[in-house]
Amino acid sequence: MQDENYILFESYLSEMLSTDEILAFESRLKVEPELNQAFQTYKELSGFLEHKFENEEASKVFQEHLNKISEAHFNKVKSITETKGTTKIHPILKYLVAASIVVLFGIFTYNQFSTPSFSDYNNYETISLTVRSGQDKLLKIAENAFNAKDFAKAEEAFSKLINEDKNNAELKLYRAISNLELDHFEIADGLLEELRTGNSAFKNKAIWYLGLSKLKQKDYNAALVILKSIPEDADDFKQAQKLIDKLD
Amino acid sequence: MGEKKIHEDQKYIDGLLQNNAFIIQAIYDTFVPKVVNYIKQNSGSADKAQDVIQDTLLTIYNQASQKKLQLTCPFDAYFFLLCKRKWLNELKKSSNKEVTINEAELSKGDEAQKLAFETSVFDEKQALFTEMFNKLGNACKDLLAATFKIKSMEEVAKSLGVTYAYARKKKSLCIGKLTELVQKSPKFNQLKN
Repeated sequence: MQDENYILFESYLSEMLSTDEILAFESRLKVEPELNQAFQTYKELSGFLEHKFENEEASKVFQEHLNKISEAHFNKVKSITETKGTTKIHPILKYLVAASIVVLFGIFTYNQFSTPSFSDYNNYETISLTVRSGQDKLLKIAENAFNAKDFAKAEEAFSKLINEDKNNAELKLYRAISNLELDHFEIADGLLEELRTGNSAFKNKAIWYLGLSKLKQKDYNAALVILKSIPEDADDFKQAQKLIDKLD
Repeated sequence: MGEKKIHEDQKYIDGLLQNNAFIIQAIYDTFVPKVVNYIKQNSGSADKAQDVIQDTLLTIYNQASQKKLQLTCPFDAYFFLLCKRKWLNELKKSSNKEVTINEAELSKGDEAQKLAFETSVFDEKQALFTEMFNKLGNACKDLLAATFKIKSMEEVAKSLGVTYAYARKKKSLCIGKLTELVQKSPKFNQLKN
């Protein structure tokens, strides 16, 4: 292919040709299959390069984040299989194990028959919000405060963030949890209700936390009704069923 | 027929695109164990599965951001088919082992097959384009990087110490060179068919 053709491709793609030149070029594409094929490849490569360089940083951040989650997932799975495979009990330990089982059974029975409380369920996994480059400090503050269980500070940061990004369901969920921890039930329930009726990925999580909110408010009947509406494919379905059994 | 209906599992694609920790975690919890089992049962290990899965998620992310990927089938079937395809390619590359798969059992409808195929082609093209880009001379690589990062050709020219006209021409010729490298590669012709 001659150099002039590539220069023509570039001019066409960057809209620098006159109407007559465009018409002439487009009619050549129709009758010159080789030119047309080279043009299609040129166009595709141009799109590839554009994406490659524009998204280089975002893509790197995504890869690092993915790597972190993947490592954590596979390490967890590995450690479970290893413990299963290598446990050998020393004879003397058997007595200790037997004694522990008695104690555990006692605790288990106690738990079964005592009323469940919010504090049985508020162990949150570490959240990670500052995954994209160029995001502001406020996200980092919110993330750190939430992970350190400083919910007052987290609430302050989340409410500011939501003001800027009114449709962000993830931020709303974390803000609701922070308020739930602070006993600000009105704010928490309002946010959770909004997520529950919406269509975001956090819909089921919101139902679960709305149930926990009612539990914390000791409104057991309301908690039951809400928990029973958690669909089977939700992450918290099993946990919810256990809680329902205890409350019923 | 109107436009195809987007599946509700599009939330996983959008979540990947937004780098959403919750969604990525959910993918690992919900869909990954099945893939790991499959790879382990087909001459692989957990470590191999980890790599295949990570690569696959990166491919989906790239296709979603570059081509606005729209999911028209359940994520489960789509993701599983992609991982499977990637793993079988790995096996083919590393040995000449004969691998038997029960296709009927694995296929989850034409839509998932079609979509997974499109994503695989996208992935292979990306790999080929990257390989050929790396074959370009440094002058072309630098100029193209500058062009697509800075956007304004005037500024590109200034930053490289050349005239505007020269920078424009050079950009066309560098992409032209890349076009030739790609077109000459036998892999490209296979992908087209």
